[in-house]
Amino acid sequence: MNLSALTGFPLLSLVLWLPFFGTLLCLVFRHSALACRWLALLTTLTVLILMVWLFVGLPAESGWLLKEDYAWIPSFGIRYSLALDGISLLMVSLTALLQVAAVLISWKQKQHPALFYALVLILETGIIGVFLATDLILFYIFWELMLIPMLFLIGVWGHGNRVYAALKFFFFTLAGSLCLLLSIISLYLIHGEQTGVYSFAFETLMQTQLSSGVEMLLYIGFLLAFVVKVPLFPFHTWLPDAHTEAPAAGSVDLAGLLLKTGIYGLIRFAFPLFPSAAQQSLPFLAVLALIGIFYAAWIAYAQTDIKRVIAYSSVAHMGFVILGLAAWNQLAWEGALLLMVNHGVTTGGLFILIAMLQDRTGSRDLRVLGGMWKSLPYFSAFFLLFCLASLGLPGLSNFAGEILVLLGTFSRWPLFAAFAAAGVVFSAAYMLRVVQGVLWGPLGQMCKIGDDDCLHEDLDRREWLLLIPLAMLVIWLGIYPAPVLEPMSGPISLLLQSGGLP
Amino acid sequence: MSALELQSLLPLIILALGATGVLMLGAWYPSKNWILGGVFITLLAAFSAGLIDPAVPEVANLYSAGSYARFFVVLWSILGALTLLLSLRYTEIHDLPGSEYTALVLFAICGMGLLSSATSLIGLFLGLEAFTLVFYILIAFKRDDSYSAEAGLKYLVMGAVATGFLAFGISLIYAASGSFHLPEAFAGLQQAGGMRALGLAGWALMLVAIGFKVSLVPFHLWTPDVYQGAPAPVSGLLATGSKGAVFASLVPLFTALGPLKADLEVILWALAALSMLAGTFAALPQRNLKRMLAYSSVVHMGYLMIGLLVGGPEAHRALLFYVIAYVIATLGAFGVLTSFSRVDDEPQEYGDFRGLGYLHPRRSSVLSACLLSLAGIPPLVGFFAKFGIITAALKGGYPGLAVIAILAALASLYYYLSPIVVLFMQQRDARELRRGGGYEFIVLALCFAAILLFGIYPTPLLEVLTGILP
Repeated sequence: MNLSALTGFPLLSLVLWLPFFGTLLCLVFRHSALACRWLALLTTLTVLILMVWLFVGLPAESGWLLKEDYAWIPSFGIRYSLALDGISLLMVSLTALLQVAAVLISWKQKQHPALFYALVLILETGIIGVFLATDLILFYIFWELMLIPMLFLIGVWGHGNRVYAALKFFFFTLAGSLCLLLSIISLYLIHGEQTGVYSFAFETLMQTQLSSGVEMLLYIGFLLAFVVKVPLFPFHTWLPDAHTEAPAAGSVDLAGLLLKTGIYGLIRFAFPLFPSAAQQSLPFLAVLALIGIFYAAWIAYAQTDIKRVIAYSSVAHMGFVILGLAAWNQLAWEGALLLMVNHGVTTGGLFILIAMLQDRTGSRDLRVLGGMWKSLPYFSAFFLLFCLASLGLPGLSNFAGEILVLLGTFSRWPLFAAFAAAGVVFSAAYMLRVVQGVLWGPLGQMCKIGDDDCLHEDLDRREWLLLIPLAMLVIWLGIYPAPVLEPMSGPISLLLQSGGLP
Repeated sequence: MSALELQSLLPLIILALGATGVLMLGAWYPSKNWILGGVFITLLAAFSAGLIDPAVPEVANLYSAGSYARFFVVLWSILGALTLLLSLRYTEIHDLPGSEYTALVLFAICGMGLLSSATSLIGLFLGLEAFTLVFYILIAFKRDDSYSAEAGLKYLVMGAVATGFLAFGISLIYAASGSFHLPEAFAGLQQAGGMRALGLAGWALMLVAIGFKVSLVPFHLWTPDVYQGAPAPVSGLLATGSKGAVFASLVPLFTALGPLKADLEVILWALAALSMLAGTFAALPQRNLKRMLAYSSVVHMGYLMIGLLVGGPEAHRALLFYVIAYVIATLGAFGVLTSFSRVDDEPQEYGDFRGLGYLHPRRSSVLSACLLSLAGIPPLVGFFAKFGIITAALKGGYPGLAVIAILAALASLYYYLSPIVVLFMQQRDARELRRGGGYEFIVLALCFAAILLFGIYPTPLLEVLTGILP
């Protein structure tokens, strides 16, 4: 179908509210786990198909591709305005993909399935909303909307110390968010006093004249909210707990999507609204990112829980992304955003594989696992593939992003780029340790405790269905990332030149 | 008093006469169904306030019949109807006399209506005392419960002291200005010299009394004990209506104050900041839902003081929106508590709620929504309430208070999430059902719907508030 025929149709609202509608349906049919499961899958699949269609059909232009704008709360100057450009197109597509994976990996959810799927779906609405909103209050509402479902996902279905992890996650992000809110309101009032127009529209607020002190103060408010979510060292301490204790779907969403909302917030709002403060902060961000890369790798190497290793590896990868952003040139930004997508796919895949592993062996402990290659060859092949992708093997997805980031950084800070390149070696160290501990060595624990005659079945059909597309994506993004780079190169050059979209 | 004036006062007369009638007839025909009669009377009052145009704008220089006053009469009447619906099963299982209870609630609603309509200091005093007196009885209504008796006595002693302060303060202001009527009562105080010092002393005493009534720090100490001891629906009414009505009456009072407010600024600032901070610290360690709600209401009163301090139509609109958001969510929370109560026990300790979330998912969700709305999490109504107040604080030039408000909001998540964690994230020990009544579910559904609807689309409510503000 021709997309241009649909200019009047609120496509963005459809994508945004479809999962929410699914949530309502799940709550209506809450007594049937089967119905909820299929409803969740159907909803996420529909969103995915819509996004693939948009991804293929929309032209690779640099401005807004789709826009919606309605009055919402005129007394405060708040509007319901959504817009989609190349970057948000990518992020929403990634969201749609990973949500399908999240539903499929929780297919056998036995504990309160209706509530579980309802929360996963409303989380999708929150994340998509963050990627689409261009009114700052609307953005903030979606930003907060992500918190409550995640709190419940970790707190109800998590492992071990789940309530502690859930609350820690909640308070870290909320503390940042409230700084953001204070900054947003201040900016709104300053703009209102200057022009008499009280509006939260991002494009209006960009025109605000700020003195450098005020600009820095407001920028720090934005920055705090976003770097806590990314997370940048030293704000990362919530992440290992949350990732480790979360159920599989929660980990996939956290690592694959929630971290990206932080990066997205930085490039969409924090940098364009406060360009000169952002420029001043770049070296600082780069140093923190570098520290994060090494520190996280170091800690990751010491972990025995695989989920914790992957969690810390996320901190290291996000360090690369921030480093790329701090380099502030086209190449590095393309690399950073590509790495964001790649990290979503590989880490999402790894968490899915770890969930499958835990399902079979009842453990995630490197000390008791081992020898999987002999008993579960197919599973092990996928595990190896995703681990290699995660450590940045050339030809697989993460490598493309990392090399672009390093090249871009080299042109600005050669020394930093050289250090960061060494960080890749570090990541190889901890990832290979995971591979060694899980796949090779003597046969370790193969059954859940107390379950003596368990079956060592390799992947079933659902799991094949889940892993093959992700694996293909990992290889495709490694060999030929152009289709992903193409839609975002225009918006990136606009962001770098003028600090935002027209 | 002319017939026109009586017509203008009709909604309040309906409430007062209705209460008297229920009390009299109830003596001959005792029945639980008087409560439903009371619901009918409150709804009648609400409709007459909303639909019948008043003949005169002000009655006897005491009470206004303008749109501002009428709005609050409607609001408190609906609150009364909801409280009575909540009490239906509660009074039955605790064997409380239906007609007396109904009459007292109607009197309380009438007092709240009078207070919100007051245009003179005497009217304010009468309205305030009308419902305070009723609450002395309502709080101690469970006669054989020692907590209830303790709460009643505490409220009585504190209330009597506050009444003394209020009367003395009003008389000082009268002595200084020669008028009870607003805004003349303050007009004389605005020039320097003369009786200004006397008037300010009167104001200080009045603030003490107001502080007691709405439990601002340092006058809040009665709050947790009274909330804990009072029957759950009464605690709900006390937490919502009695405080909301005081703030509704303070908005015209502070508007009339004019430039005199500059002299009170330091005190108001301190009251707001202290209430937010001390309330937060006191709420953090609570493990009893009613006591937690009591301390958290202290924090909310601090937020409302910001609205009063800033002043002006926008801040006042934010304040009234906050009052409404707070009333809805607090009523919902106490409503869930009421519906969880059984013949022998009323759950209050967090341990009583362990794992109840999956046994009673709907009511637990309502409780969670109410608590999250009180915490100001979007897309619930509490978010725009907090948003409005913080915007007003920044705009009015009080960034310090805005920062304290943000910090209090962050800390509040800890005590609001604790019950939710207990409800949904802990295993329950026993499979004990806590059956509620159908009327309670109606009230809870209404609260839940209001929290969501006004949270997602607050525009109509904001427009109404803009329209009624004097």
